[in-house]
Amino acid sequence: MTRPFLFSVWNRIMCDDGSKKGIFEAKVNSNRCIGEGFYRVNLGFCGDGARLFAGFIPGQFVEIDLSGAPLPAMDKIPEKLRDASGRSIILRRPFSLADVEVCGDVVNIEILYCCVGPASLRMMELKEGNVVSVIGPLGNGFDIDKNKKVALLAVGGMGAGPLQHLARELAKIPGMEVVAFAGAQSVDRLPFEKPFGDFSARPTLCLNEFSKSATKSIVATDDGSAGFKGFVTGAMESWLDSCKAEMKDIIIYCCGPEMMLATMAEIAEKRGIDCQVSMERRMACGIGLCQSCAVECRKKGTDETFYKMCCKDGPVFDSREVVYTL
Amino acid sequence: MKNIVDLSIDFAGIRLSNPVFTASGTCGYADELGEFMDIDKLGGFITKSISVKPRKGNATPRMVETDSGMLNAIGLANIGLDRFIEEKIPVLAKMKAAVFVNVAGTTIDDYIEVTEKLAGENAIAGFELNISCPNVKEGGISFGTDPVQVADITAKVKKAAGDKKLIVKLTPTVTNISETALAAVENGADALSLVNTFTAMVIDIETRKPVLANRTGGLSGPAIKPMAVYLVNKVYNEVTKNTDVPILGLGGIRNAGDAIEFMIAGATAVSVGTASFFEPRSCERIVKGIEKFCQAKNISAVRELTGSIE
Repeated sequence: MTRPFLFSVWNRIMCDDGSKKGIFEAKVNSNRCIGEGFYRVNLGFCGDGARLFAGFIPGQFVEIDLSGAPLPAMDKIPEKLRDASGRSIILRRPFSLADVEVCGDVVNIEILYCCVGPASLRMMELKEGNVVSVIGPLGNGFDIDKNKKVALLAVGGMGAGPLQHLARELAKIPGMEVVAFAGAQSVDRLPFEKPFGDFSARPTLCLNEFSKSATKSIVATDDGSAGFKGFVTGAMESWLDSCKAEMKDIIIYCCGPEMMLATMAEIAEKRGIDCQVSMERRMACGIGLCQSCAVECRKKGTDETFYKMCCKDGPVFDSREVVYTL
Repeated sequence: MKNIVDLSIDFAGIRLSNPVFTASGTCGYADELGEFMDIDKLGGFITKSISVKPRKGNATPRMVETDSGMLNAIGLANIGLDRFIEEKIPVLAKMKAAVFVNVAGTTIDDYIEVTEKLAGENAIAGFELNISCPNVKEGGISFGTDPVQVADITAKVKKAAGDKKLIVKLTPTVTNISETALAAVENGADALSLVNTFTAMVIDIETRKPVLANRTGGLSGPAIKPMAVYLVNKVYNEVTKNTDVPILGLGGIRNAGDAIEFMIAGATAVSVGTASFFEPRSCERIVKGIEKFCQAKNISAVRELTGSIE
């Protein structure tokens, strides 16, 4: 007798190496635009998927199959993406999570994303009730150091997602002061829910996503259209200059463009602050098969380098071990 | 009551439970896919390339997606022979599928060393000679484009392989693949893998630079399937049809229909590569899909499909 094939392989979970992951179907709960080009999609899991995702660590990620999802109508596709939109995609896309919510037997995850190519255009079209295939949870998330007294979050662009999730976890640690520094080119490129709060007082509770977890936020814009004029790294340096805490009690968690990560790594090194960076690489599989997502790392105490895989060894790394690609 | 389909095949004298293999470099060294599917459902397993010394691989970016395909230049990153023997052979020994170790090198002596050192391992059924990787500066494809060199390396590695079977994996980036295929078959190849990736390039029009750090890469995925099917059929007709040398067909297989197409073209078995990246359960699904197809068409044994092109 043959068992129905789908049933026999569905939700297979192995944990040989301590990691637990699987392929799950997730139901779209909502998918909304929070600003020009920025979206938040909410996906629900039940059964084994719910059990695994309930333990999702901030900084881990998922791989979503969007190859079968329809494209938006032509008039909804931004002009600069029209050529790319026609490209047929085969690979899944990696996304980190902005939130995980356990509601009884169901676990809902939220992903912050922006429209940049043929896959995210398809993601934009997901409707409530649609089903997508998700592989996860993948990778190693941020290593939360409970002995620190101050946690600083360096948020660049879409790095806002995983660091919101991290802020919520950090807020649970008694006595931990958490400050998020969020940067974008200009005020309308901030991937956060509007209306924003007051940018004038610093640190302030201007970004709702961080305010929810009582995390203070400081905004930096390249053009000065809101908050600190300049980069996140500059905003954080000036904050550190007037900070009274000892450097050994501070930790920096970063997610954003590699240039920002490299600068943060330098600042942290110079001041003797521990720092973790979440790296981004092109991935074909996300599960350690393809070896595409190599991150060059230094062997401790030598100039010798080797490659770690962003998907399995990361995506979060100690800032000191990475050789940044600029 | 559904008719029973015999999925087993004879592959170069080895009996396999079904004709589906993993493709080298897409499924790790041993049990990595085991997190997602039952590895024992595979007919054959081909490991990631192994070289004498560990290789760290190419700089990034190493991969870019293309229309219905992907371009990669990993550069044969691997843990090297010693660690492979110590860490992976014990895992491979437990596998039900026939295991073939993909062998890479920069000199013929490298290939011979890896093959000789593994030839006594009970865990493996044979080797797949990688003389077709487009992504390394030395070795790889440079051996595989010249029939004279193909003949030489095949004969030498076959000798080093002892009782083990030798599959020679060929590059499609040649004028006439039948010449390299014939050179391999005449010099002791027990089977042919057709085809490796196509050498290709993607350029970023903003920077005018190739996207891959290696500049060029190997194209795989559904985009290359019709070309791969053609080459399998060509070699089947011109080289292997009247021999007992089977073809392991690969290139863009993502579902059972694709696998069946390769078999009709002349392949005895098929390898699934890129599809495992986006659907890690692909191999298992393809085995099941082939069985269903045969049931629906009243085909009693899957081997009847091989070379059944009209």
